[in-house]
Amino acid sequence: MKALDYIVPKSAAAAVELLSDYGETACLLAGGTDLVVDLKHGAGRVETLVDVSQLQECRGIEETDEGLRIGSMVTYGEIMENSICLTKTPEIVAASHTVGAVQTRNLGTIGGNLVTCVPSADSAPALMVLDAEVTIAGTEGNRRIPIEDFFVGPRKTSMQPHELLIDIFIPKKNLGKPSSFYKFGLRKGQALALVNAAAALELINGEITSPRIALGAVAPTPLRAIKAEELLEGQKPNKELITKAAEIAVAECKPIDDFRASLKYRQQLIRTLTQRVITRSLEVANER
Amino acid sequence: MLVKIKVNGELRSADVPPETTLLKMLRESLDLTGTKLGCDVGDCGTCTVIVDGVSVNSCLMLAGRANGSEITTIEGLADSNTLHPLQEKFEEHGALQCGFCGPGMLMSAKDLLDKNPDPSIHEVRDALSGNLCRCTGYTKIIEAVIDAGRVMRKEISA
Amino acid sequence: MATRNKDIQTDTDQVIKTEKAKSPSSQPLSVPTDNPVVYPLDLPQGEARLRTPAVGQRASRPDGRLHGLGQTQYIDDITFPHMLHAKILHSDHAHARIVSIDTSEAEKMPGVLATLTGAEVPENSFGPTFQDQPILAYPIVRHRGDGVAAVAAVTEQLAMEALEKIKVEYEPLTPVFDPLEAIEDDSPKIHGESNIYTSKIIKKGDVEKALKDSPHVFHRQYTTQMVEHVPLEPQATIASWDGNGRVTIWSSLGRITLGREDISRTLAIPQSRIRLIGTIVGGNFGGKNEIRNEPIVALLSKKSRRPVKCVFTRDEEFTSSTIRHPFIMDYTTGVNDEGLILARKIRLVLDGGAYCSWTGTTIGKGSILAPGPYNIENVFVEAYAVYTNKTTTGAMRGFGAPQVCFAYESQMDEIANKLGIDPLEIRLKNGFSENSLSPTSQTLQSVALKESLNQASDRFGWKEWKA
Repeated sequence: MKALDYIVPKSAAAAVELLSDYGETACLLAGGTDLVVDLKHGAGRVETLVDVSQLQECRGIEETDEGLRIGSMVTYGEIMENSICLTKTPEIVAASHTVGAVQTRNLGTIGGNLVTCVPSADSAPALMVLDAEVTIAGTEGNRRIPIEDFFVGPRKTSMQPHELLIDIFIPKKNLGKPSSFYKFGLRKGQALALVNAAAALELINGEITSPRIALGAVAPTPLRAIKAEELLEGQKPNKELITKAAEIAVAECKPIDDFRASLKYRQQLIRTLTQRVITRSLEVANER
Repeated sequence: MLVKIKVNGELRSADVPPETTLLKMLRESLDLTGTKLGCDVGDCGTCTVIVDGVSVNSCLMLAGRANGSEITTIEGLADSNTLHPLQEKFEEHGALQCGFCGPGMLMSAKDLLDKNPDPSIHEVRDALSGNLCRCTGYTKIIEAVIDAGRVMRKEISA
Repeated sequence: MATRNKDIQTDTDQVIKTEKAKSPSSQPLSVPTDNPVVYPLDLPQGEARLRTPAVGQRASRPDGRLHGLGQTQYIDDITFPHMLHAKILHSDHAHARIVSIDTSEAEKMPGVLATLTGAEVPENSFGPTFQDQPILAYPIVRHRGDGVAAVAAVTEQLAMEALEKIKVEYEPLTPVFDPLEAIEDDSPKIHGESNIYTSKIIKKGDVEKALKDSPHVFHRQYTTQMVEHVPLEPQATIASWDGNGRVTIWSSLGRITLGREDISRTLAIPQSRIRLIGTIVGGNFGGKNEIRNEPIVALLSKKSRRPVKCVFTRDEEFTSSTIRHPFIMDYTTGVNDEGLILARKIRLVLDGGAYCSWTGTTIGKGSILAPGPYNIENVFVEAYAVYTNKTTTGAMRGFGAPQVCFAYESQMDEIANKLGIDPLEIRLKNGFSENSLSPTSQTLQSVALKESLNQASDRFGWKEWKA
């Protein structure tokens, strides 16, 4: 790697200030599992790395009266060991488990996953179906936005260049919501998702309530299959309904056709995975 | 940049350029060449070491980030004259052929057994999924890890 | 310990946990059904095993202890005082003429102690079959992985930055990537007058007549892809000269006698001046069977008067080391109603890459094995190795066997399926037995094909599955 400077700021505010001052020549370092690889292949204009991985404001997992807060610099490994996540957000644990391998999961952070913002980001669908919100720190202070508004395009978030992702918030009502996550890749480990899918829903008086379906690697950003959700809302679950919802989800997606998989195969994956995550969420709901 | 770490119980330090990875620092500045460079991008696992209790790809961690950490490398697995059960069983089973994946494989296995003393075969496979081996087909490695676990649980002797 | 997502648990766990009481070597490790494979396998003991104290005894690998301790020394683990690091600049084009190379800017950099280009190599050609491969390409580059220049500097990073300062002017030439295109007369020529650089014909009986007389004829084209060995240890070399003009080279090379010949030839020094140390290798599989960086590193060391080390990056392993030959295989097979093969006509086109390397062996083996382990009276095999402007194809375990196996076994299944014959039966019907003749009329002995098929099919329950 070419010569770079390495700074560890003491606070989020200090980090934001550094990024503001340095502009394009500085960039944030979290776990480094993506960035360090990129830097080894050419640093472009980057001259300074600002290591935010240990910032207090970005660490920790806490449950409050309002919901669950997961620091952006929490690693996948930490999420997988955390008792609150295991019981109340098992699909975020499941999604974390599918990322890379043990070593990558001990360095890689959930915030880093969101900020890198590739369409196949594994944490995204699991977070989207729980109506997650993200806190962003800028020069004017912090702001919180729904996660859907965070993703703008491949490798493009709605953050300004000098801003820092602080944490992810799951509203209390969605903790423990019956849900399911499934990722399909060409291997079981160290694989990019060809399609990843998540669903969450409540079953109240035998009717599907507040359904959420999110899919990744099927469009420029992870997306919610809104029309499929609308079909499910208020309905009594049955096989035809699920099949139909999956079909609608396929139509809402814009998957690519490349050497990893054809368009037709990806569409079949969307169809199958959507059915699977809805069915599994219903099973979880029925077990309650 | 001066980086101070505790490696295999010993305090070590080196003055390295900031962009140096922990892997390069271990191999070149501290002469601990047991940890290997196989791909340098965190895919093959030959650079696996344990930092503050978790296994990581040292090729992806900058030396500066490791400052102040406790690190275990393959050189620290055996205890003066006693081999670690993993090393015993790997040797007994003939688990390694060219041996290049060995250090990384052993560190990942140690990390697993330290946290999960009685893993299922599926859990062993999952724990080793970040360590590639081109020679062996993994069967004997997995057998050796399961066996080492039994030694560590005192179910069988070394 | 907290449980993980139960979606990832499988039945494997249940079976393994109940078998815990057994000693380690009888633990089933394959995906169990009700017939798990149990080690050690229950095999008939030959007489020899019962007579000697050594045969049949377990032996432990002599390198196991050091591997486990992390003390095995691979080349990258070796350093010498004042050692330099070398890096190689690769071509920008798949096919081009080098008009000029200017290394002067690189040489001016503090810490860069030597540079090298192809023109400086005393004999710039080597190869196990034909000496068509350059150490550093000059004046023609034939694939993107071709090295065109090299530098030695005090650090690896500095060497990489020095490469960026080397100015190479190319005159692009038309490349050809498809072997079926390259085989044509009007394709761009990569070496000499024709891109077909070696061929084989095997002829037995009268295949055209037999095909005409066959009740069923099957034809299909099968293709296989490029495969890279991915040895976990990238190729590595260190070279160092002494005051008597002798060079010592540490190399991950698999064939050091051959290597020493090639190094002697390319450096134009007698073999007595070369000491080649073949070290512990971190995986070879065929990709380290010929020299690659050794002459470059030796010449840089000579120029700089320091030991020089060069280690390939993982990227370079893919682009600049050898790979397995992709095969394009046309199989035409005539069978009778009972599935007996009467005739087989095969055309093999080997994607021969930019240089010959071990293609001679690959085409020979591939051709002989192409008809498959089956008794066929009428065989015709024609095989061609064709240059393309892609990565050099060379030795990789099997040397052509895996590719043709894919083709002939796929076709056997197709034939069985079409004629409604059990795929096992059709193989037993046609398969070699003791004293069968190979396609080149070698009498085969110790043939256990049918016994193996029968034992294997019993073990994995073929009959039950088919029922």
